[in-house]
Amino acid sequence: MSRRNVHPLAHLALMTATALFAFPLVWMVLSSLKPANQLTEDPYAFWPTRWQWSNYPQALSSLPYLRYLRNSLILCTGSVIGSVTSCAVVAYGFSRLRWRGRDAVFGVLIATMLLPWHVTMIPRFLLLRELGLYNSLAALIVPTFLGDAFFIFLLRQFFLTIPDELSEAARLDGLGEWGIFTRIIVPLSKPALATVALFQFIASWNDFNGPLLYLSDPQKFPLAYGLEQFVSSYSDQTHLLLAAAVMFTLPMVVLFLLAQQTFLKGIATTGIKG
Amino acid sequence: MFRRATLGPLFISPWLVGFVLLVAFPFAASLYWSFCHYDLLSPPRFVGLENYRRIAQEAVTGGRFGQALWNTGYFALLSVPLSIFLGVTLAVMLTWKIRGQAMYRSLFFLPSVVPVVAASVLWMWLLDPRDGIVNESLGWLGISQSLWFKGATEAVVPPGWFDFGSKDALVLMAVWASGNMMVIYLAAIGDIPTQLYEAAELDGAGPLRRFLHVTLPMLSPVIFFNLVMGVIQSVQAFTQVYLVSEGTGEPAGWSLMLSLHLFLAAFQDLDMGYASAMAWLLFVVLLGATIFLFRTARHWVHYQGIMR
Amino acid sequence: MTRHSAVFAFALLLFLGGLLIWDRLDVRAQIPAERREVVFWHFWGGADRAIVEEVVARFNRSQDDHFVRAIAMPGNNLDLKLFLAISGGAPPDLINQDDPIMADWASRGALLPLDEVASQEDISDLQHWLVPAARQLGTYEGSMYALCNGLDIRALYYNKSVLDEYGLAPPTRLDELDNIAFTTSTFDADGNPQRFGYLPDPRRLWAWGTVFGGDFYDEPAQRVTADSEPIVRGLQWMTSYRRRYGADAVAAFRQGDQSLPGKSFPLLSGRYTTVMDGQWRVRDIVRSQAEQRQRGEPVTEFGVCPLPPPEGGQQRAGWVNGNFFVVPRGAQNQGGAWQFMKFWSGFGGFEDEAAQTCRAGGWIPVSTRVVNRPAFQAFLREQPLFAQFVELAASPHQVPTPVVPGAPFFQRTINEAASKAMYVDAAPSVSTLLQEATRTIQIQLDAQKETPLVAP
Repeated sequence: MSRRNVHPLAHLALMTATALFAFPLVWMVLSSLKPANQLTEDPYAFWPTRWQWSNYPQALSSLPYLRYLRNSLILCTGSVIGSVTSCAVVAYGFSRLRWRGRDAVFGVLIATMLLPWHVTMIPRFLLLRELGLYNSLAALIVPTFLGDAFFIFLLRQFFLTIPDELSEAARLDGLGEWGIFTRIIVPLSKPALATVALFQFIASWNDFNGPLLYLSDPQKFPLAYGLEQFVSSYSDQTHLLLAAAVMFTLPMVVLFLLAQQTFLKGIATTGIKG
Repeated sequence: MFRRATLGPLFISPWLVGFVLLVAFPFAASLYWSFCHYDLLSPPRFVGLENYRRIAQEAVTGGRFGQALWNTGYFALLSVPLSIFLGVTLAVMLTWKIRGQAMYRSLFFLPSVVPVVAASVLWMWLLDPRDGIVNESLGWLGISQSLWFKGATEAVVPPGWFDFGSKDALVLMAVWASGNMMVIYLAAIGDIPTQLYEAAELDGAGPLRRFLHVTLPMLSPVIFFNLVMGVIQSVQAFTQVYLVSEGTGEPAGWSLMLSLHLFLAAFQDLDMGYASAMAWLLFVVLLGATIFLFRTARHWVHYQGIMR
Repeated sequence: MTRHSAVFAFALLLFLGGLLIWDRLDVRAQIPAERREVVFWHFWGGADRAIVEEVVARFNRSQDDHFVRAIAMPGNNLDLKLFLAISGGAPPDLINQDDPIMADWASRGALLPLDEVASQEDISDLQHWLVPAARQLGTYEGSMYALCNGLDIRALYYNKSVLDEYGLAPPTRLDELDNIAFTTSTFDADGNPQRFGYLPDPRRLWAWGTVFGGDFYDEPAQRVTADSEPIVRGLQWMTSYRRRYGADAVAAFRQGDQSLPGKSFPLLSGRYTTVMDGQWRVRDIVRSQAEQRQRGEPVTEFGVCPLPPPEGGQQRAGWVNGNFFVVPRGAQNQGGAWQFMKFWSGFGGFEDEAAQTCRAGGWIPVSTRVVNRPAFQAFLREQPLFAQFVELAASPHQVPTPVVPGAPFFQRTINEAASKAMYVDAAPSVSTLLQEATRTIQIQLDAQKETPLVAP
């Protein structure tokens, strides 16, 4: 893209769009600092009548934060490792190798995403229980090592954009398929792999249903479960809910800032690869 | 060639194991249930095509299923194209060398990770018909006030132009939270070899032609991905739909999506047979849509790697 | 390269950090060896959850035989998890829920009748001990399956300061409520409503239908009677507000209340002169008044009265729901479950404990025997608004959603018909809507009955 001059009008458009997108976010942070009675009486005000920083420690102290955080981190890192490795390997098989029935099997993979989870939840639960995974974070981590259709599809699309000549050249150099995968495709697909890692981390971080259904011991629940605790039909705790939501989202910002560095790098270096 | 023919299945074996172990049986079970009366608490009882007959009847008489079908279609047809257009545009803009690029990127991405419970509280405030800032801003533009979450209207269907109803509010929420799609485009732009641009520049191509002839074709595989996944995910959208109407599909069923209808049937009315039949009809519809999309893909998606 | 490895390092660090914290924190609450565990699932969230945990802790301290382990599952998750647990053959020992789902579970044999958990004499004592509404909530086809441990009663809250300003008294008849509604409503220069004197909520046709003298269900005949004359009149009266102010104005105003879904109390923000709501709003009022006092502002006065009936209507009537205990079939520790149920509800000599629990949670006791404990009486003297609700709870005209399989569908379909009548100008007539709803519900209920019962 034009890497030198950005037209001022284009810049303006971008800033307007940003303002529109960011407004609810800014407002969420501001509202999380409002006293409870302001949210009750006039939730539409922009500024807090009083900056109630105590919402944050209060939201923290109403749940075993560190324990939930620990569980979330185990769940997220385990799932990220599982997803990135398994999905990359499987996507390679679906994109860079020719074999009989490949497209038909790929069709089946896509089809597995088309049935709402509500109707497959019970048998899936019974299977995981039979495998001895009930009430263990492994029930949520182990399946990620068996590939996820969404990520496999995504990585396949990325792998398909890499010119075939690269693989052919490597084959002529005597590199096996595993070698091509690890030494050529993976290094060229870092932005895509970072995307998968980021998405899987977020999915696990936000997952509330999975832990609740597959775990029975509250000591093993992740942070998303703690957040859900603020949602109650009987009491007005919106100020705490928002404070908890901000704290819950913050690690994602850090993670995203780190992950997007790889996209930048992609732009700078892919030129050398040919 | 033979060696690579066996290598393929070997590479995909992790997924094959997962499919056999965790996917095949649940699929078969729910297909079986769709021919049963099954209340989750007592054993399923075979009733043949009864559930499908009921759905067909409801679709014809404009019952709940018919309404849910229309609502879901409306939601998908609006939110998918909008979020793709927005995602591509933003991703391209965010590759410009501008100050604060990382900040811009995070701001567009962030809404997709805000917990849905918090997001729905915020949007109820923003879209309040009387005091919400959105209606107020629309008022400055001369657009009359809409009821949003309480509205039994559809903003893009003729009698109600710009009269935003509950589904339009859900579309807005979905588009706002589609920043994760933008990430995929960003990653894909990162994958585009620079020499393609250099070559285009040597040919004297301006920014617009570079976008049309280099960026867009190179992005087409992931645009295709987001299109297919967007359709699948918007048809199955559940959490936000459930939260904003507290599971009622208010007002008067105008925000009742298929996923919510299915959920209520299965777990409130204990009618898993009917819910499964609905799920499988949905499966067939989505399968048709996906096959159609894959067919059209041959004409507009450009792959550099092996296709067949 | 360095930046990518930074991501990797970050992930690895998180993982190691996680493991380290794991080691430091793994001090799982140990269950004393001589005690039997009671696995208890409940739906409470937010501030209520802390109160529930306090009750559990108090029970665990009070005796040496059982140890209750509580797991909170807010929202609909409890039902989902219960289906999984039953399919997997490992249900919990005790469940606390507030959906009208009991009959659905009981009719499929998923619950133990309480006389299998405790003795027959206990249960017949229990039936006399409970107020009528609580008894009804727990009874399906003549057997007790659930022990109600808290009632949710609705009444009319009014802003006394506004009524005084207009020289009006709290309503005792429906036309007085209409009068309050029309005279105290205010509008801005553009004609947009700023305050409604009263605005009927479609979800509360259940209450008004009863107040008008109607019955939604004829239990002996097993017929849905939601289209009976008093209920039609009730809904007609409710929609008179739509006709007066316009559907859009009504819907827009209502959305303003739900901006915090079911959470903030619109009466406090001055949006209404009167609002029908439940006893849990009392603590919102008390808190708001305390804040006003603290800020040195004039304190807004509020009051509570029963729903005012029309001529020939029902006095002290309304719609009630409640939270209830059920013991799933297959529960391991039924004795422990029964002990804890008694401890919370107050039955079997635990009245003082229950008085303390209800006081802490702002919950309405399910028996007048708990209400009459001196500790609770003292509490009621401090809380005159709350006392009104407690008094109403004993009325025989406080009626729950019919306890039949398919009750959630019943409730949903009625609410939807009322919502259509209330918010859609072009909606069919009230009687047509209710007839249609009645027919749909009857079909659903009949279909439920065909389901073969699982032999106990």
